[in-house]
Amino acid sequence: MPTTFTRNNAWDSGGTLEGNSDLLWYAIGVGKMMQRSAADPKSWWYFGAIHGDGPEWGGITAPPQVPPLPSPDLQGWNQCQHATWYFPPWHRGYLIALENQVREDIVSLGGPSTWDLPYWDYFGQQNPPDQFNIPLAFLEQSFPPATNLPPGVPPNIPGSPNPLLVAPRYGPNGDGVIFIPTQAGINAHPQDPNSDFDFGVVTEECMSDPVYTSSFGGGQTGFEHFDSATGGLENNPHNLVHSYLGGFQGNDQNNEQGLMGDPLMAGLDPVFYLHHANIDRLWAIWNVTLKNSNPNDINWLFGPTTNGQPDFQMPKDGSWWRFTPSDVTDISKLNYTYKDMSAPASVVPAAQAFSARLATLHAAPAAATNGGVTNVQPGNKVELMGATQGSVVVKGAGTRTPVRLDAGVRRKVAASLLGASQAAPPDRVFLRLDNVVGTIGGVLSVYINMPEGGKPAQYQHLRAGSIGLFGLRQASEPAGKHGGKGMSFTLDITKVIDQLHLSQSLDLDTLSVSLVSSRAIPGSAPITVGRISIYRQGH
Amino acid sequence: MIDIAREVARVRYPVLAISAFAWGALAVGPGMHVPGMHVYCWAMGSGTAPVAASLSMLLALNPPSALAAGWALMLVAMMSPLVISEIHHIRFTSLARRRARSIALFVTGYGGVWMLCGAVLTGTGIAALTLAPGSYIPATVTGLIACVWQASPFKQRCLNKCHDNRCLRVFGLEADLDAFGFGWTRGVWCAGSCSGLMLFPMLLPEGHLMAMAAVAILVYCERLEDPEPPRWKMRGLGKAGRMIAARIRISRRMVRRGFALLTEQ
Repeated sequence: MPTTFTRNNAWDSGGTLEGNSDLLWYAIGVGKMMQRSAADPKSWWYFGAIHGDGPEWGGITAPPQVPPLPSPDLQGWNQCQHATWYFPPWHRGYLIALENQVREDIVSLGGPSTWDLPYWDYFGQQNPPDQFNIPLAFLEQSFPPATNLPPGVPPNIPGSPNPLLVAPRYGPNGDGVIFIPTQAGINAHPQDPNSDFDFGVVTEECMSDPVYTSSFGGGQTGFEHFDSATGGLENNPHNLVHSYLGGFQGNDQNNEQGLMGDPLMAGLDPVFYLHHANIDRLWAIWNVTLKNSNPNDINWLFGPTTNGQPDFQMPKDGSWWRFTPSDVTDISKLNYTYKDMSAPASVVPAAQAFSARLATLHAAPAAATNGGVTNVQPGNKVELMGATQGSVVVKGAGTRTPVRLDAGVRRKVAASLLGASQAAPPDRVFLRLDNVVGTIGGVLSVYINMPEGGKPAQYQHLRAGSIGLFGLRQASEPAGKHGGKGMSFTLDITKVIDQLHLSQSLDLDTLSVSLVSSRAIPGSAPITVGRISIYRQGH
Repeated sequence: MIDIAREVARVRYPVLAISAFAWGALAVGPGMHVPGMHVYCWAMGSGTAPVAASLSMLLALNPPSALAAGWALMLVAMMSPLVISEIHHIRFTSLARRRARSIALFVTGYGGVWMLCGAVLTGTGIAALTLAPGSYIPATVTGLIACVWQASPFKQRCLNKCHDNRCLRVFGLEADLDAFGFGWTRGVWCAGSCSGLMLFPMLLPEGHLMAMAAVAILVYCERLEDPEPPRWKMRGLGKAGRMIAARIRISRRMVRRGFALLTEQ
């Protein structure tokens, strides 16, 4: 019977090298992998390049001391799957392979064979309450002295440099204070309420979404190049956390970017794998605890090979492990689990959310008398309501732009909201940002009908969501896989539209959409949104 | 949730049906002949006639209107599967009340480029076959040139541009201009990518329809590839071949596992 490994919380036992043996041995294993050459599939650098590599590696401030890269790319490099429904399974396999290699090195150094990769639950608020901060082990300059370490640690380790420490890790304010702007994180690091900038809050809202395809897990990657939609899990929390962790030195986008902010460098930062363990944990909770289903489509089950793309492949146990999503959907079959598999408290079941919506729209009594709420589908007709007439350039703190609405479609939405009932589910409304291109990523928050000159902190009820532009530069390259189309995001703005409807503010020819950045976007490197569109989904 | 795959399917199948209908018409309708077909028939039987007389007879047998109609039919058959993504893009990003109009404008722009291109290609074909009736030399030379173009970085540049689904404006004259402009621009890059290949079947003394089908498969398959930096390389059927091989592997695996994969989720 194979051992079942348990991934533990990195904040256990204080989250330090001295107190947390998972982190201590992780650091020791990473240190050994870093001693190998970049061409060695067992090296730290090789694994980093599997996620992505590029000429940027030549200019990284040490630590880590990145060795020269072989050219051309070696087997398995540059595989990372982003803006696709393969995002969760590819990263699960990647974690398993990395974890396997680290464990092999740990065991070779006399460490525990039961070691498993810890996860960083930045949403955690118990023991300690401030888990939005990076575990302290990632900030320590060196290993503790031998007297403070458990027996069995190799003699060269005490007092030596800590491999988990990375210089280009600048954080959301660019000052090296590394925290994640969850709501608790923002409360602990409050912004000026009069600031024109806005932390797009990192949330677990995606966990309430019961649908994988085009929603929680990402858009179907078809062979006709029709879309590259980022899923809810990938956008927030994943992309936002990457952007915030990396940051820019001095919060100036002309300065060095932190490793975590760029997909071609992110795999070099040891905290990457703890972040992704948490993302993987959320996917596992979404499946196991919340009982949501993964796609049952062979195009997903068998991965991108169905579209003529290469297999997923990882170095493992001296050979290459080729896998498909169907091989990694069930963590129990992969012999690992997480210490905490409980659903986030913020998760709202779909039926309950629908019932609450009917109540908001003053339609709940009718639903209640009809024997409970079951029908939560508004229909599958998708129709454009309106859009910007042209592209939108975002620089500085952001921009505010009108989105013209078609009167006929707007009236359809209003009528559906007025006549909402269990039998006639009201329309849902989505905002799409298409062809988002630029050279430097970041986080943009989207507000609907925020007044001109309004301060984001004072209009949180009008916030439609946030988008993390992790990988923006690569997606914007004309000869890249995205063909220069950039990134696309869909935000569910139904709640905001409901509020506008209730306040009699929906009867407008235009909505204003504000895109607010978390940091100043230089005019020399603006972000361009090809079009902002609003869609209704209903009958 | 907006299920883009479902939205694409709403376009894909009607477009493929239209293409299939056009192929059927080309295959079974001698009246709706492929451009140049009469050229070949005539040329092969009258190789000794003077050039001027040949040309005169040729135009009598193939009036420009018939050539244009045949060329248009061939475009529908060969090119409509190539623009599924584009038609989906227009449909999805246009107001419902404007969808048909915007798609019509796109098709006008796209087809307009190809009709102009067709005039040049047909003229070239007529000239070549008038000067070398019944000969494989024009087709061979054209095929070689098309092969070089197929491997060139210029071809890749055209293919990359064929993946550029621009954002369209939604209201008023601007929406019409964008839809037409999108079609026109896409037509230019598409013609840049495959004109040489399109000329090749026209110059063949025989096996014309089969060659057209082969070219249609090739241009469809090469469009499946991801964009990439322009460079010299052989391109064409790679991704399609890998897809077919993968489907065969998957089918075998599913049969072996009794389709368990689809039931255990």
